[in-house]
Amino acid sequence: MKRSHQARLTLTALLAVSSLALADVRVGVIVSATGPAASLGIPERNTVALLPQTIGGQKIIYTILDDASDTTTAVTNARKLIQENKVDLIIGTTTTPASLAMIDVAAESKTPMISLAASESIIKPVDARRSWVFKTPQTDALMAAAIVAHMQQNKVKTVGYIGFNDAYGEGWLAELQKNAAARGIRVVATERYARTDTSVTGQVLKVLAAKPDAVLVGASGVPAVLPQKTLNDRGYAGKIYQTHGVANADFLRVGGKDVEGAILPAGPVLVADQLPDSNPMKKVGLAYSNLYEGKYGQNSVSTFGAHMWDAGLLMQKAIPVALKKAKPGTADFREALRDALQGTRNIIGAHGIFNLSATDHLGLDARSRVMVQVVNNTWKLIK
Amino acid sequence: MLGPVAFSLSAPSLASKGLALNIFDPAIFPILTADGLTNGAVYALLSLALVLVFAVTRVIFVPQGEFVMFGTLTLASLQLGRVPGTLTLLLVLLAISTVLNVVEALRRGDGRAAGLAAGSGVALGAGVWALTTTLAAAKAPLLVQVLLTLLLVVPLGPLLYRVVFQPLRNASVLVLLIASVALHLVLVGLGLVFFGPEGSRTPAFAEGNTALGGVTLSNQSLLVILVSAVLMLALYYFFDRTLTGKALRATAVNRMGARLVGIRPTAAGSLAFTVAALIGALSGLLIGPSIAVSYDTGFLIGLKGFVGAIIGGLVSYPVAALGALLVGLIESYASFSLSQWKEVIVFTLILPVLLWRSLSSKHHDEEDE
Amino acid sequence: MTPRLILTLVAVLIALALPAVLPVFQVTLLTNVAIAALTVVGLVLLTGVAGLTSFGQAAFMGVGAYTTALLTTVYGWNPWLTLPAGMVVTAGVAALLGLATLRMQGHYLPLATIAWGISLYYVFGNSPALGGFTGLRGIPPVNVFGLDLTDPRRFAYLALVFLALGIVAAQFLLSSRVGRAMRALRSGTVVAEAFGANTFSLRVQVFVLSSVFASAAGWLYAHQQRFVNPTPFGLNVGIEYLFMAVLGGAGYVWGGVAGAVLITALREVLQNVLPSLLGTGGNYEVIVLGIIIILVLQFARRGLWPLLERLVPAGTPRLLARALTFPHRPDPTPGSVILNVQDAVKQFGGLKAVSDVSFDVQAGEIVGLIGPNGAGKSTMFNLITGVNPATRGSVNLLGRDATRLPARTIHRLGVARTFQHVRLFPELSLLENAMMGGYARGKAGIVASLLHLERREEAALQGVALAQLERVGLRDRAFDQAGNLALGQQRLLEIARALTADPAFLLLDEPAAGLRYGEKAELSALLRRLRDEGVTILIVEHDMDLVMNLVDRLVVMNGGQELAQGNPQQVRDNPAVREAYLGADVEEGAA
Repeated sequence: MKRSHQARLTLTALLAVSSLALADVRVGVIVSATGPAASLGIPERNTVALLPQTIGGQKIIYTILDDASDTTTAVTNARKLIQENKVDLIIGTTTTPASLAMIDVAAESKTPMISLAASESIIKPVDARRSWVFKTPQTDALMAAAIVAHMQQNKVKTVGYIGFNDAYGEGWLAELQKNAAARGIRVVATERYARTDTSVTGQVLKVLAAKPDAVLVGASGVPAVLPQKTLNDRGYAGKIYQTHGVANADFLRVGGKDVEGAILPAGPVLVADQLPDSNPMKKVGLAYSNLYEGKYGQNSVSTFGAHMWDAGLLMQKAIPVALKKAKPGTADFREALRDALQGTRNIIGAHGIFNLSATDHLGLDARSRVMVQVVNNTWKLIK
Repeated sequence: MLGPVAFSLSAPSLASKGLALNIFDPAIFPILTADGLTNGAVYALLSLALVLVFAVTRVIFVPQGEFVMFGTLTLASLQLGRVPGTLTLLLVLLAISTVLNVVEALRRGDGRAAGLAAGSGVALGAGVWALTTTLAAAKAPLLVQVLLTLLLVVPLGPLLYRVVFQPLRNASVLVLLIASVALHLVLVGLGLVFFGPEGSRTPAFAEGNTALGGVTLSNQSLLVILVSAVLMLALYYFFDRTLTGKALRATAVNRMGARLVGIRPTAAGSLAFTVAALIGALSGLLIGPSIAVSYDTGFLIGLKGFVGAIIGGLVSYPVAALGALLVGLIESYASFSLSQWKEVIVFTLILPVLLWRSLSSKHHDEEDE
Repeated sequence: MTPRLILTLVAVLIALALPAVLPVFQVTLLTNVAIAALTVVGLVLLTGVAGLTSFGQAAFMGVGAYTTALLTTVYGWNPWLTLPAGMVVTAGVAALLGLATLRMQGHYLPLATIAWGISLYYVFGNSPALGGFTGLRGIPPVNVFGLDLTDPRRFAYLALVFLALGIVAAQFLLSSRVGRAMRALRSGTVVAEAFGANTFSLRVQVFVLSSVFASAAGWLYAHQQRFVNPTPFGLNVGIEYLFMAVLGGAGYVWGGVAGAVLITALREVLQNVLPSLLGTGGNYEVIVLGIIIILVLQFARRGLWPLLERLVPAGTPRLLARALTFPHRPDPTPGSVILNVQDAVKQFGGLKAVSDVSFDVQAGEIVGLIGPNGAGKSTMFNLITGVNPATRGSVNLLGRDATRLPARTIHRLGVARTFQHVRLFPELSLLENAMMGGYARGKAGIVASLLHLERREEAALQGVALAQLERVGLRDRAFDQAGNLALGQQRLLEIARALTADPAFLLLDEPAAGLRYGEKAELSALLRRLRDEGVTILIVEHDMDLVMNLVDRLVVMNGGQELAQGNPQQVRDNPAVREAYLGADVEEGAA
């Protein structure tokens, strides 16, 4: 152990020397490429390969680490990136609890961090610690508001909820309850299930017994198929809503006719080709999709990877600004980068238009989400 | 631990609704029961495999659920016209076990046996490879793909036994258990590499529904229950009537005695693992159409089989199967009444069971190591 | 100064220097290692020492971490008060789990801990008071002498101090009477019970102790991260702790530490190396780790530490200064009845292994129990020693009805035994093996042992054990490993161990089996000497020559029944005995 530590010391020293000489910009990426959040983390990781290798004439060096959907690993990785790789910016991580735990690390070392997780609590309120933390995905709050607005338009009075028995399901339930209460919709049943469950009949019966006008499935990826399939099997006739966590090709592939009719909010990138030409996100979304599918094959694109793409766009805007003020690898540069990120306006991303400020570290508005329905096993924009 | 459970009984999900629903409602109870039995049937199959493997080899086979995962996902890969990663695993294991066999034979000074082992290893590997790549590309009919899936998954059982557990056959139950957990992690990791993070479903073998006395059941569920019942009967016949089955039981009762009547413990172990892999793969094919199986689905399914096996004291086949059915039922009722706490209820169930076993019977310590 | 002591001191000095000189990230890793190692040291006591295991140690950490998180954030407790609180809560949960499972075979505990690890994850996640799945934040830093430990370097020292205390306590425990009894658990319960230990209670104690170690680690974790959520306490993490113990060497406290270092370092290396070798498509670290564990189990089952330890010779241990002497048990009146077996019956299902056997043993005599194979001698031996009590009839030992007493209580009446198949602890010294026999003479419990408050008693035990080694002629090898002895000497060591208990009545189960001629003669001489010193002896033996020339009286059994009793001459002349043996067994026995 002692030897390996020594070896590491020398290695770190060498790296430090070389980094000073070249003054490349170092970007550390943490995603959940394994574990329960892997279906979100893998496209995010894949997208890193599509990000530019030079920005503002400076070489960008990416270091990608997997946190296995685990908090401790995420925090350790963040420290590693900051201390060992001397990164100027951290992008990640995929899940909310792990991102929350990373905030302190980013703040202590004064390193800007762009989270790829959903919860609003990661960036709100922008206090001393969160002043270093940004994120690109739409908040659950934003998405839940869209769902509930759609419910209201469609005269839904009561809603049932079936969600994951984890942080994802917990976050969505909280947002649903908040938004529904605000719009006079009653949440009449809340049921939870595990990603690996082989049956949700019990939960579905319980929800059906409450006779809701609509049901929201608070789950991500392929496991979100099961509740909808079971609702169909039990003859449920109301509307079934899903979350944007299902917006990948596997959901359609596995779900097949069982997920027909599902309504969900999503980033515009999901249906970029159906957007009117006037929509600024159309071009960015299509460009990203083509780039991704060009590298990873047809139908491989998902909205999750686009959050990484958007983080890349923010970075491309902010790094040149920061480079004018300080040299990469320094505390001044990181602070300049933070200020530059905070000052970015009108960045057209795949998911929306980013207008960041000192009090809003997300900067997305209602244009960042569209309602989509599964029709004929494809995503169809609801106009 | 009791605090939160007690608290949740008055959780808003129940109280705010004001609905006096309970699981004994005549419109609900039969459906839940049927659902519990469908899942319980699969758990029961797995629990039988677990008891068998433990009885014959003393291995507490945690990765049993991974056979289920490999079963479903291999078929799903074939459906997509891809060569499943299972083939790679099979070939690697075959190579390792062939090398082990050859080395062993050479050590005995038996050149002929070594040559035979090497030749058969290479031939088998080449055959399976050729067959799989051809059939995968040809998108063969479902039945052929099912058979191919079994051909790919079932040999994993004896090969894993040969490579992982046979060298450990004199180790204590504890060591075998740790090896078994390590193997579980390896197989889940490989599952992610081979099949990706997202789950897959396989085509249904039976479409439509059947009404049975007021309860509508999908034909797929009926098929699961039926096939499980047939498999259990087949196992019963195997153990009770056939010579090989009796030999396996003899090994379970007394390893020494079995050796005396001419059954090599390694052959018995190999056979037990083959049966376990077969049961696992078949279970995977059975549940594949109803749920999306992903690389990490197998573990929890296997564990629920374990709860059943533990209820049976890891020795009694019928009690294990009944215990597993009970797990399925409790899970189903719990998912209706207290879905948040379902996992806690199912897995805490084994504590009173263990306590009861502990108090009701006198246990002799196994003299390990 | 022994080489090992020097190395330990060097390790301590390096550990003290590391937090000051390493880059901050590596200090964080060091803290992670220290926290993991603390849990693993507890697990070593459970797994390597007591032969039990648990996949739920991470869950116990969780109990410790959540206790402090809740009490400090919601109720404003001082972290130093939440540490014992967490330990108490964890110990309670562990005791509950242990009581439910530890009466049974060892593998039920790990299975129960798998279930418990999964359950607890959902309990944490579904309790809004505990922050749900998202977690609890804002846990205050630990304050030491007015200094908030927010700086990773300072915190690393705290973690190292905890680890050092854990290591010292574990080593103290292992070199104590309770620790030796715990080691005896690994090979089953029979030996420990035979020398008066309540093995069920010991198992529960060691399990609770290991959970308390984990709880302390969880407390450290909570105040290091200052954020807790359910994932770090899930089953997978618990499995990793066990792997650390297995890789490092589950039987060695330092092995546990080494395992924690190795796996953390391995993870770091794999994380850097594997993606470039194999691409980024999967969780190759887990696969590689799993394969390494399987290989270690196959090729170095005791882990890597013993391979290292072999390189540095151990010095001769120092003996403790003796300040206390155990009182000698009053000798029974010569000629009084020590053992009375009356109409004893032992039934296994439909088979009567012993039927209606009666005999006496009087103080000061050597009695032989002989019979052909399957005569029921061993069953009778088990009836007397309480391993497997009689179905009917009575066994009276030293004036007390002992028919239904457990082995440990019978031992405490003044009965000690040896085993037909030698049951020593090969990795311990002769002295330690012999001291195990004196378990029932000491009183110190687990807490006193952890703190080494029982040194007076330990010194007295050492004195007794050395005297008994002297008595059987093994004094000069007291510090050798028992595994290095020849079989004959191992049998003598078993006798020395039994004598350490200061028995009034000694039961020997085939003590001459496998001995050479000269060794048998020595054994006979030793047993005669013991009798002359006032020890009453019952010997079960095959070797006719030895028995006939040694014993005062014989009891002959055949087919579970008593065939004859009397002095050697009477028995030799008994036609029934002659018929039963048909010469064959006599010949074989003499051969």
